[in-house]
Amino acid sequence: MSVFRVWQITQFELTRLFATKRGLLALAAFSMVWIMILKYPISHAVPFLNSPEFSDIAQQIAGAIGLRELVKWPEAEFAIFWIISLYSYPIFSLFISSDQTVGDRERGTLRFLSLRCTRDEILIGRFLGQLLIIILLIAATSIATLAMMTYRDTSLAPNGFFLAVKLSMQLAIIAMPFIALMAFLNIVTSSSRLSIVTAILLFTLGSGLITYLASYVSFIHALFYLFPGEQITSIAGQTETKFFDWLLPLIQSIAWLTLAATVLRKRAL
Amino acid sequence: MNAIAVTNLNKAFGSKQALNNVTFEIEAGKTTALIGPNGAGKTTLFSVLCGYLQPDSGEVNILGHKLGDPALFNKLSALPQDAQLDPRFSLEKQLCFYARLQGMNKHAALKDTHRVLELVGLKDNFNSRVSELSHGMRKRVCIAQALINSPKVILLDEATAGLDPVNAREIRNIIADLSDQATFILSSHDLSELERLCNHILYLEQGVLTQHQTYNYQGEHNYITLQLCKEPLQAIDHLKQLQDVTHVQQTQSKEFVIEYKADNRQFDIQLLKHCHKLKWQYRQLINGNTLENELFNKE
Repeated sequence: MSVFRVWQITQFELTRLFATKRGLLALAAFSMVWIMILKYPISHAVPFLNSPEFSDIAQQIAGAIGLRELVKWPEAEFAIFWIISLYSYPIFSLFISSDQTVGDRERGTLRFLSLRCTRDEILIGRFLGQLLIIILLIAATSIATLAMMTYRDTSLAPNGFFLAVKLSMQLAIIAMPFIALMAFLNIVTSSSRLSIVTAILLFTLGSGLITYLASYVSFIHALFYLFPGEQITSIAGQTETKFFDWLLPLIQSIAWLTLAATVLRKRAL
Repeated sequence: MNAIAVTNLNKAFGSKQALNNVTFEIEAGKTTALIGPNGAGKTTLFSVLCGYLQPDSGEVNILGHKLGDPALFNKLSALPQDAQLDPRFSLEKQLCFYARLQGMNKHAALKDTHRVLELVGLKDNFNSRVSELSHGMRKRVCIAQALINSPKVILLDEATAGLDPVNAREIRNIIADLSDQATFILSSHDLSELERLCNHILYLEQGVLTQHQTYNYQGEHNYITLQLCKEPLQAIDHLKQLQDVTHVQQTQSKEFVIEYKADNRQFDIQLLKHCHKLKWQYRQLINGNTLENELFNKE
């Protein structure tokens, strides 16, 4: 595998978001949603979390759902940012990376590419491109949150900066298997829309079916480890997280990408 | 040296055998025509040669490398049938990207992009998006991408289909100009086009390579194809009266293929004089047999 060619493909993916009309529209919609999130849920929740009258109630509610540690953070903006991002970025990753190879394959563009690089390079290059886009978006929103928090209390800025870096890295790791899953679904479906529909069915009907079957045969429950985001509930509270919870998304990403590469190597273009 | 060597290639789609034990070799520098009726397996063969399809069995060797070898990335290029570039990006951006993938630096990639776009007559469309181009222009861009960085083997599937006569002629000129620098394999239904460009024929029918021969007219007998403006009476009998004629065949209305002894060097002049004497007006006199007759009217 040539690192040069993979990097060329990754760079080209970035231009898909930042240099095409469709990409810029998606970026504008994303920005508007996050302006709303920063303006309302985050800025409105902070006084509530910091208020002495409500902090006890907030801690009791948060404690009941395993988020007691988050409520104690002085960087309250990041507590809300974390909870919103933890659930929104994986879903957003599914949508934004829904056309990694399928559009090019249906149009025949992959035929031009496959004469210049291996199919593995195309797959990895596109995956890394989408991951880079998600990392950039996560970084942009966490910087905006940091700016908002610094505006409220400048003394929180140094700790807030490290928290922003830490949370951004954690969110990128969480999003990774979702992008890898879409890389695989792109190989086995015939459109990006169908890839999204298949992903939704996998997370709803698929998980329901596994739960049902696991009630009869317990080891089937292990299939849940194939689902990206399986560990999200256990890491949401930012308490003592097990190493496996961070290893799992990396293993899932490698597994989905390996499966995608195996199928792509054999399929007709 | 062989540019392409294919041995016992087989590919089936369900019960249909698209390629049946296909074996051939193409010498470097030869321009080869791939001919056959619809569904004969031409596109399947192209797809296998380009690595888009995996054969069920058999071997393909291109410029001494096996299929999929990264060493071929800069040497083998193709115009696949019905493939399109991404409509959201400019021609310059996409072709530059392809050139970069082929290992060129930014400056060289840009220069070569401009060169190939100019070759196909799209020098004023560097910044156009594919979605803004007509069908014929899109086809020419796809041909342009196949010429980036002067590859050694170029496969063109229906290169001139859908192009207007002027642009089709331009593409034929490009192929003719580059044919001494690269090995071309052309697939087309336009036999006159292939006749002009190719000196090697591969004829596929129902997945079987039925002809694999160098297209020439040398031998003990030579051929002349005579096309007349009007259908004369008893033309075959008249033509047989000519000296050294061994066989005359009417291939279609007003068209005759005359076989004569090769040592008669003046035969064409005799024939023209004979036509003049009989007051036959001729439309065309072809030295040899036409490709169409060679393939479909063999007696």
